[in-house]
Amino acid sequence: MEHAVNIMAGRFLSSIVPVTFGILGVVIANFPVSLLGGLVPPALLVFMPLYFWAMVRPDLMTPFWAFVLGILQDLLSGGPAGVWAAAFLAAYFLIDRQRDMLAGLSGVGAVAGFAVASLTACLTAYATVAIYYWHLPPAAPMLLQLAMTVLLYIPGVILLGFVHRRLVGPYRSDF
Amino acid sequence: MANGTWKIARNRSGAQLPIALLAALAIALILIGKAQNPIFDRARTTVTDWASPVLRIARAPLDGLDRWMGSIGEIFNVYQENLRLKDENARLRQWRNAAVALEDRVKRYQLLLRAVPDPKLSSVMARVIGRSNQPFLQTMILDAGKAQGVKPGQAVIDQRGMIGRIFLAGNYTSWVILLTDLNSRIPVNIEPGNAQAIMAGDNSGAPLLDLLSQRVVLKPGAQVVSSGDGGLLPPGLAIGTVVGNSVSGYRVVLLADPGASDDVNIVDFKLKTEQPPATTANELPATAAGLPPAAPPQPAPVAAPLVHAAAPVVKPPTALPASPPAKPSANAQEPPASDTGNE
Repeated sequence: MEHAVNIMAGRFLSSIVPVTFGILGVVIANFPVSLLGGLVPPALLVFMPLYFWAMVRPDLMTPFWAFVLGILQDLLSGGPAGVWAAAFLAAYFLIDRQRDMLAGLSGVGAVAGFAVASLTACLTAYATVAIYYWHLPPAAPMLLQLAMTVLLYIPGVILLGFVHRRLVGPYRSDF
Repeated sequence: MANGTWKIARNRSGAQLPIALLAALAIALILIGKAQNPIFDRARTTVTDWASPVLRIARAPLDGLDRWMGSIGEIFNVYQENLRLKDENARLRQWRNAAVALEDRVKRYQLLLRAVPDPKLSSVMARVIGRSNQPFLQTMILDAGKAQGVKPGQAVIDQRGMIGRIFLAGNYTSWVILLTDLNSRIPVNIEPGNAQAIMAGDNSGAPLLDLLSQRVVLKPGAQVVSSGDGGLLPPGLAIGTVVGNSVSGYRVVLLADPGASDDVNIVDFKLKTEQPPATTANELPATAAGLPPAAPPQPAPVAAPLVHAAAPVVKPPTALPASPPAKPSANAQEPPASDTGNE
């Protein structure tokens, strides 16, 4: 009985880890204090766990959670509601369609795959904001944010991989 | 880093339909937000109200680090900067003396003309507890909200000039949209010449000037102040100086630096304005010149009431103010007062 309870607790923990990391990414990235004197926009930290677990455990990082994390990002970043939610869903669509290809990448290719997915999200957000305000916003801040996000993905994916191996694990039916 | 090492879950769920439905929901949210739905704004202000104690605590060490990192580049030109500041300080002292003299003169003219002087504006002082530099939004968070009388639309200024406007007000915190933000558009006047324009932010450091008249040619260095058109902002708030030309377009270099401002004033344009101090009899031109005050008006003859009623009665200046006990004017020793009430 105790063993069953432990298994259930473990499964619950593994199911909340991806979303918890996503929420942490939103909160940290949108903490309104800059460490770089406001020179560079904060990295899109939320997108790292979203991309990672949407690729390796889509049962835990579902489109619903991508939507929720996008809404949280909108809420804390101060932008219009729904912009990042739509952007994350667009990226999720890409990941969902190209999962096998993206998951098969390694080394620089894995970073490039993440960069393409991030670019999809950023371009969707850019286009949505441009339509929303009917005015083309400058692209430089968005590109800087994209560059920061891709740069930080390299240490980020090591951490996420470690957490995945220790706490989440592969899909249950894959055992 | 190798994604190939991960045992991935195969796409058994068929996520296309949920993605389509949620994308439709996101678009609906965007449209609802465009229609000024306050639910999202309320949620946002609730979050910042709730997080404001944490922000206050976290702000001090991180802001120190932030400023240190931001000033790394300035270490290398500190000598030139010191010389420049000394030169500027000397010029500003000359301007201060001129301003004090002109203020005194204007005060006397106002008294002679019986003009109502510009009143000082009420304001609320607030501390900056957060700054956010998102790709599509540049904002700061203040530790004053509705409880302190802050309302959306009010101007935010520091010692140097205008920084932005309040766009969200929670109970104890408020969000400021900076003048450089993409969504900021305010009516301004350019002096000299009183040219009118709309100053629009584009997320760059210097907002664009959209002149209302295409025939106006501006000179670099012209002063930009708020025009007060539309009644949203008080007129005369210092904003910046014009750079650029008619070919490449005019921009405004802001006087205020939102990145360096710690304490700001939120100007309440709609509140009842403060009354200026009454002018004492000793400040009248005649008294100041050592002459005896003008004689009080003689009572009108009772026999000519009709003529008296038709003619405008001009009272001598001494009858104007409800004078408090006379005291020596110390205004000449004070720095020039501004209309913004930010001193």
